[in-house]
Amino acid sequence: MQSEAFRKALAETFVVVPAYNEGRVIRDVITGLSSEFPNIVVVNDGSSDDTAALLADLPVIVVRHPINLGQGAALQTGITFALERGANYIVTFDADGQHRVEDALSALRMLIEEQCDVVCGSRFLGTTNNVPRIRKIILKTVVGLANLTTGTHMTDAHNGLRALSRKAASCLDITQSGMAHASEIMSQLKLHKMSIREVPVQVNYTEYSLAKGQSSLNSINILVDLVIGRFLK
Amino acid sequence: MTFKYFLIAVLTGFIFYLLLLPRVGYLRKGVIFAFVMTMLVFAIQPDWSNSVAKAVGISRGADLLFYLSHLTLFFIAFIYFVKFKEMEVRFTKLVRQLALENARREAKH
Repeated sequence: MQSEAFRKALAETFVVVPAYNEGRVIRDVITGLSSEFPNIVVVNDGSSDDTAALLADLPVIVVRHPINLGQGAALQTGITFALERGANYIVTFDADGQHRVEDALSALRMLIEEQCDVVCGSRFLGTTNNVPRIRKIILKTVVGLANLTTGTHMTDAHNGLRALSRKAASCLDITQSGMAHASEIMSQLKLHKMSIREVPVQVNYTEYSLAKGQSSLNSINILVDLVIGRFLK
Repeated sequence: MTFKYFLIAVLTGFIFYLLLLPRVGYLRKGVIFAFVMTMLVFAIQPDWSNSVAKAVGISRGADLLFYLSHLTLFFIAFIYFVKFKEMEVRFTKLVRQLALENARREAKH
């Protein structure tokens, strides 16, 4: 049951969904989201499949990157657009069907009730742990590196499900186009002294989402990107 | 001996090219000039490289040049990698601007 205040907050919330070649699942993901969230911004990150056509009749705003830039760049584009449209809360949500709408609602609810700036989804909190073993090792490595470089103490820094207040979203300037953006986001939030909480979430590991996810080598790529990123600051 | 003259000719040509290059800072020009001049001197007098190598604890001049070449190539690759990343950031901003302008225009209609 949703309170009046939460319904009002939902109307002020924009869900940002970066999508690249997600034709197989994008309709299901957006249909699920649109049953709860009235404002959805899909950033079509230069998809070469039928993602754009599949979005045409759905109740979403589509922002199109003419070429593929990467998830980090797509997120920043979506966040900038949502802020321009007056969003008071922003939820980031992956397009590959790995996140659950109820978890997005939980994250938003926690953000509002605890009056914090950011709520990040964590698949390693509580009992909601259905992560395949190899993926767990990769993710733990990435989280360890992220905590080391950002100075945070997160249990799952590379989860695409986040809820951000307008204040937190406004302080983001994501320059890491690739997967290192998740660590960069945490680093910038920490720099701006944003209060960060974590909410337990479940991730739907399908063959499709696993194939779209991070490879084992990505933890090394992320580290290199973060180190080079420091030089560019 | 033929290769030695070829090397001297190439390095001399590069020095002239470097001196004529516009829009390159004096510091960068100076560093490249010093490096190429060192190579030129070692090409003319290979024995000198042995003396320098021994002075820094390396047994052969060829080894010293090998290490120096590696360091130089790594340095150049790193500089260009950073430059490439800078370009990537600018390019991303440009594409984002374009995407946002299109989205704003569509939202108006």
